[in-house]
Amino acid sequence: MTLSKTPSDPELLRLMIAGDEDAFTALYRRRQGGVYRFALQMSGSQTVAEDVTQEVFMVLIREAERYDSSRASLAAYLYGIARNYVLRRFEQDRLLVPIGDSADDGDSFTHPAMIAEDDPLGDLTRNETIDTVRNSILALPPHYREVVVLCDLHEMSYVEAATVVGCAVGTVRSRLHRARALLVEKLRAGRDRNQNPEQVNPARCFA
Amino acid sequence: MNCSESQSILRELARDQMMDARGRQSALAHAVSCGNCARALGDARALTGGLRHIASVDAQEQAPARVEASLVAAFRDRHSASLPVPVIAPAASRRWLYIAAGVAAAAVAAVLISLIATKTRSAETTAPTEARTHMEAPAGVQAPKPAPSPEKHVVSANPKRGVRPIKPVIQSTPPAPKNAPSGEVEIATDFFPLVNRESLNQLDSGQLVRVELPRSALMSFGLPMNMERAGERIKADVVVGEDGLARAIRFVR
Repeated sequence: MTLSKTPSDPELLRLMIAGDEDAFTALYRRRQGGVYRFALQMSGSQTVAEDVTQEVFMVLIREAERYDSSRASLAAYLYGIARNYVLRRFEQDRLLVPIGDSADDGDSFTHPAMIAEDDPLGDLTRNETIDTVRNSILALPPHYREVVVLCDLHEMSYVEAATVVGCAVGTVRSRLHRARALLVEKLRAGRDRNQNPEQVNPARCFA
Repeated sequence: MNCSESQSILRELARDQMMDARGRQSALAHAVSCGNCARALGDARALTGGLRHIASVDAQEQAPARVEASLVAAFRDRHSASLPVPVIAPAASRRWLYIAAGVAAAAVAAVLISLIATKTRSAETTAPTEARTHMEAPAGVQAPKPAPSPEKHVVSANPKRGVRPIKPVIQSTPPAPKNAPSGEVEIATDFFPLVNRESLNQLDSGQLVRVELPRSALMSFGLPMNMERAGERIKADVVVGEDGLARAIRFVR
């Protein structure tokens, strides 16, 4: 393989299409982290993230010629494929009814860092805040969650995020504003709950 | 600065993004005097801090090595399967390609005819086993030229599926083909079109391919057949056009 020091994505892709395995490996190593993290942060599941990453690059192997560099960067193209697979996975999982008292029961595939420890007696430490934020992101509706993940966690511009999501830039901006407002509400609720652990709902007392 | 203006730059303020210094100072001064905006700024900063920390912690997350291994294997499989196909020289070898395609098409047509024939189990029509028929070949087809027939009788053909024989007549003195041994005489029916008549008329030239079919194939073209001999084979000539399509068929005895 004859490559310059830092070959661009299109250059690697061109070599990959020609059958250059090293180019594919280089491209995979460069882009897999973002795709994997996006799927992980969207789903909260390592298994899903792994499957999605595999599917995304399988699509690239099969249909690399379909990528149009004039429409989006390769990273945005891969994120877009990952997003479609994640949403499809959500749709499939929605049709499945979890067995047990809670949907969280027995979810051995959930990443440990995604689980927040519920410690009402502790102070609102930094780690708790992070766990609360993480769980709050996972609790957002997918169309809000994806803009938070793309813009706030992956530092994408509104334009790039709009390319990935396939909507207008203004839509991304408004969704992000609404998503952050929802996250702030959840943070406030968590903080209030921690500050007043003895507070009970009177309606429940009379029940 | 009022609350509305302060809220509009809250995110930028919380993220310490580049912004107008005077606007920043005004927003911060407003937050000092406004409890709601101060709380909103505190929440936005907490959220931003949490998001940034999550981003930095997750930056270490990578797909497992087994994903890369399986993808590289898939890449190898795909590219080993799509090796370049040798290009056939167009001019000289194309004619042979057409001939080969024509023969293949004739064989396919023969198989189709036999399949149709075996599926068709209509009532046996009794007819003289010595019936000898002959029909003219379509124009342009190089086939043995028929001899004039002294005795001609109209055959009560029963065509099926729209296939009709061309000039169905019985001929008692058929021509002897070139390759036939002396003393043996081949008797042939006329050609039955396998395509519509318009396509048959458009046939400028073609080839005659000799095939063998089950005798039951006769019934598909409305010809009489002795059911006791249904399992036997019968010879047939298939007219194949330059495009490789079978156009007509005749049965030979």
